[in-house]
Amino acid sequence: MHIKCNYHYEPFDILCFIAPITVFPEYPTERKMNLERAEKGPVNKALSAKSRMPWGIYMKRYGTLYLLLILPIVFFVLFRYTPMAYILLAFKKNNILKAPWLVDWAKNSGFEWFLKAFKDKTFIAALKNTIFLNLLDLVIGMPMPIIMALFLNELAYPKFKRVAQTILYLPHFLSWVIISSITLRLFATNDGLINKLLGTSIPFVGTEGNWRATYIFLGIWKECGWNTIIYLAALTGINPELYEAAEVDGATRLQKIWHVTLPGIRSTIIILLIMNLGHILGSEFDRPFTLSNPLVVGASKTISIFVYERGIKGTQFSLSTAVGLFQSVVCVIFLLASNALAKRFGERGVW
Amino acid sequence: MKRILSLVLVLALIATLGITSAFAADDGFVDGKFTETRHITVEIFNRNNDGGTDPTDNVWTTWIKEKMLEKYNVEVEFVSVGRWSEADDIPNLLATGEAPDVSYTYNIGAINTYAAMDGVIDLKDLLDEYKDYLGDLIALVLGEENLYYDQDPTTGAVYCIEGSKPNVARITTFIRADWLTKLNLAVPTTEEEFYNCLVAFRDNAETLLGADADKMIPYTTSTDIGWRNDLLSISYVADDISDETLFVYGYDDRHTTYPGYKEGIRVLNKWYNEGLVWKDFALYTDSTVEDDNMKAGYVGAFQHNWDYPYRNGDDCINANLARNVGPDAKFIAVDCFQNDAGITRKFLGSPVGSDRKIFLPATNDEPLASLLYVNFISSEEAYTFLQTGLEGVNYTMTDDGAYELLAATGEWVKNSGNNIDYTMTLNGILLGDATEMLSYPGIPADEVALAKEYGMNNGRFAKHYSVGTIEAENEVGSSLTTKRDELLTKAVTASVEDFDAVWDEHYADYMAIGGEAIVDERIEKLEAFYGIKYEK
Repeated sequence: MHIKCNYHYEPFDILCFIAPITVFPEYPTERKMNLERAEKGPVNKALSAKSRMPWGIYMKRYGTLYLLLILPIVFFVLFRYTPMAYILLAFKKNNILKAPWLVDWAKNSGFEWFLKAFKDKTFIAALKNTIFLNLLDLVIGMPMPIIMALFLNELAYPKFKRVAQTILYLPHFLSWVIISSITLRLFATNDGLINKLLGTSIPFVGTEGNWRATYIFLGIWKECGWNTIIYLAALTGINPELYEAAEVDGATRLQKIWHVTLPGIRSTIIILLIMNLGHILGSEFDRPFTLSNPLVVGASKTISIFVYERGIKGTQFSLSTAVGLFQSVVCVIFLLASNALAKRFGERGVW
Repeated sequence: MKRILSLVLVLALIATLGITSAFAADDGFVDGKFTETRHITVEIFNRNNDGGTDPTDNVWTTWIKEKMLEKYNVEVEFVSVGRWSEADDIPNLLATGEAPDVSYTYNIGAINTYAAMDGVIDLKDLLDEYKDYLGDLIALVLGEENLYYDQDPTTGAVYCIEGSKPNVARITTFIRADWLTKLNLAVPTTEEEFYNCLVAFRDNAETLLGADADKMIPYTTSTDIGWRNDLLSISYVADDISDETLFVYGYDDRHTTYPGYKEGIRVLNKWYNEGLVWKDFALYTDSTVEDDNMKAGYVGAFQHNWDYPYRNGDDCINANLARNVGPDAKFIAVDCFQNDAGITRKFLGSPVGSDRKIFLPATNDEPLASLLYVNFISSEEAYTFLQTGLEGVNYTMTDDGAYELLAATGEWVKNSGNNIDYTMTLNGILLGDATEMLSYPGIPADEVALAKEYGMNNGRFAKHYSVGTIEAENEVGSSLTTKRDELLTKAVTASVEDFDAVWDEHYADYMAIGGEAIVDERIEKLEAFYGIKYEK
């Protein structure tokens, strides 16, 4: 079962970007340049960093960095951009044996598969489920790591903090297959451990409503600790002088959190919110697929599962490409819109 | 970059242009043998079984390779494809032009889809020309006409060859013999008696299970209710149901759309609400938990594959029961669900046409050599060796000339039961009944024989109508399966009062997302090719 969800970054992608930064700590980040500029006092706008430095010297100094960039670029061209040519499949007759540009156009001027998807009850249900589950994840799941990061930040004993962090990260490394089988042993309606202990028979995973709650809960349990990392990193960037000043002013702990810590990580929160909104139609496969059972298919069948059933098992590759394209387009629209909105409210946004 | 990209594109173009096929008689084939050595690749499932060998290179493949070289001068290379991922792997292999020359799958819809993409060789001319050399295959599929089983009545094209399944038994009901004895119950022969047994199991849980009384499961099922309760459900289908009706509503081998089927599920719903059925069955989508319940001795009765409690040698359910509960503990076969005519009807798949299908991808340059391979693997010599193996290691001969199979170890282990993956045209033992009954080490032959008899008793085969591809079936199969399981599971677990509402709602959904279109197309084709007007 190797279905890649659309927005999952491979470790290699990340490595490609991190490597140059870590190898060359003097990497001329925007912040550093600003600092340099500040040190040297106001400079003429025309004299940018680059024009001050002749091309040859610039390349001599930073050329190695560009050399290092070649690997990520090759990777992206080969594995992220070349396959995009096959988006064409969404507008062509269903044929994976010929190159898509050799295949005839699909009916309805190429839009046959899009029309078909939107006439399909199964797809509409999958679309609704995807949006609903992702919204729940966003509304309930997103604040959790922030709260947890704040808690961790307030811990007085660094040793305990480190141990706690490690334990919180652990569930992230379990696969959904394992989690789903543990879930059943714990949450089964009659044989499950929790119901046995309580002496009840609550259908935690047996009705659609309860299943959604369990689904969200498990998602939080698995990823919450891991997602604190980025907030904790942002927290370390807050100037300690602000805390000292707040203390001098007589701020309580809660007031410090509210007036110093939270504003300090606000831009991180906004960026992650934008990214999450960009995934609103994105769809994981493992999570709903492994946690599902026939009683809750009505809630658990998401677009990724629809694509798996129709596209891979039903050999409808054009239809599933069309659905995938639709997903991506909607995600990009959401990303752009939320970014524009963030900028309107005075935030930096993603770019 | 641009140059590399264009090179890649050009290469891809050339590769796809190469996929063409035109029929021409093979000049290098003289007197049933090739003058020059030919090379073909053959699909083999990889089941990754415990103690198994590399499916592409072991004692069995060595034997096959030697024989093929000697008989036809054809060199065979095996390509392994995951048994449980074949449906995903084959399209990938086809798309990259690397599909094995001889491929097989259970899914005819997939073959039809590939054929529509020009990805599969039309075998018609080849079969016409060379059928004299395919005697073994013809014998195995019970006649020349079955070579053309899937022939399209309009175009005449044949895209696949059906394998055979000589043992047509599907499903049998099993009940705990030792519990019947303990509670002084007779072996049930009717639905009512069967029900009384279940009630007795439930009410006597303390006697039967002692401290584990709360684990009692009088009757177990899985989420595949269509398979696991088939005999109960179809006993509510009228005996005089016509061949046409069986065809029109015969898309799914779970029979869910047969008229009357709903009433059988209503009975199961009643049982469920009386606490006779495993309460949590709907939550578990794989079989391990249920199997463990059976092996631990908590289960009173179930319906499943006709040999289910006997499969897997020392790890079979009955062997586990004997170890965990006691030497008397075992499941025995019963036959107790009569229809309106008073007989225990079974709807069976025909011996040819309901198992694996063999096809040659369009990238195959050696269609004749491939067909000869299919013929060889269907020969008595081949399947006898592959199903038995080495005397003393895989089997011993009994006094009356039957093979008694042993649990082999080391290189002689079979990766699939009776090597059915190698004998791709043959699923099941074809060495006589006596041998088949002895192919379950440790299980008395008469118990196996009874289970098989009850699995076939009063069997009826659906008539084969040759109408070509039903387009509506090609893509929705997997969605319909999910919907069917949802329908049946929800109907069974509903309260008795809600049963009709739940069934009607989900049945309507099932029909709406593809079921109806299939029925309509079948009716249409029935009229087009057989002139039969069918009224819904």
